[in-house]
Amino acid sequence: MLRLGANPLNMKEMDLDDIFTSRLQLLIIMAKAYLKGYPLGKYRAKAIIANAEHVELEAEELGRELRRMQDGAETAVEHYADHAFYQRIQLLARMAKAFARGNPGEPYRKEALKRNLDHICDQIAFYRQIGEIEFLKVA
Amino acid sequence: MRDFVATALAYSVNREIQLFSNGFDAVNSLESGQSADIILSDVYIPELNGFELLSAIKKKFPRKACILMSSIPSDEETARRLGADAFIGKPFSANALFQVVQKFVATDEEPPPPPPTS
Repeated sequence: MLRLGANPLNMKEMDLDDIFTSRLQLLIIMAKAYLKGYPLGKYRAKAIIANAEHVELEAEELGRELRRMQDGAETAVEHYADHAFYQRIQLLARMAKAFARGNPGEPYRKEALKRNLDHICDQIAFYRQIGEIEFLKVA
Repeated sequence: MRDFVATALAYSVNREIQLFSNGFDAVNSLESGQSADIILSDVYIPELNGFELLSAIKKKFPRKACILMSSIPSDEETARRLGADAFIGKPFSANALFQVVQKFVATDEEPPPPPPTS
């Protein structure tokens, strides 16, 4: 029997934060696959749009929640960095919907998508490094 | 979570994913001749639980790949004993679902790339 997912010590029911994290990871994979030229296909395109819709709505809500939590408590720079992160995720979702709908992917658009992806992945790596994964747990 | 699983699988295989609201409907669908490469179910679902669904499918369609998901560690052993082909501990990422597809789904589609390392 193939064994996947969380190990027994870390098993728990998936809450909204877990699902958002998984959906964001899936969106990153979808965008990287597009940049590498993997074929889209009807159901694959539909899945990208559905996932992007979820991530965009959730990122918008998480960004709003974060602003409420941070009001007056953080420095302007930290506030801007976190806010920008959620803005970038929303942008990624819109970019994903565009390429899934077949909008032309000229080189400069692909470059913008790649830069946005790099920023998001760097930010996730940074948060993980400093142990502040709670940035995804504000819901 | 069901929607996330369906989205990740549909993306991975580029095919339609059939969703059922309970285990009876899944078994009825197979009995009516609907084809399926894999059956993936939570252990805790309405009407017929995942273990009962697994047993029913393995009894009638022993060659169908059945995968169970759960957040309860002891469910893994039960799943193994009942003949599950895979067990997914919650929480899990899209990578776990991609691995299921690579292992159990015959596909002529180009698979998605490996996950980002960052």
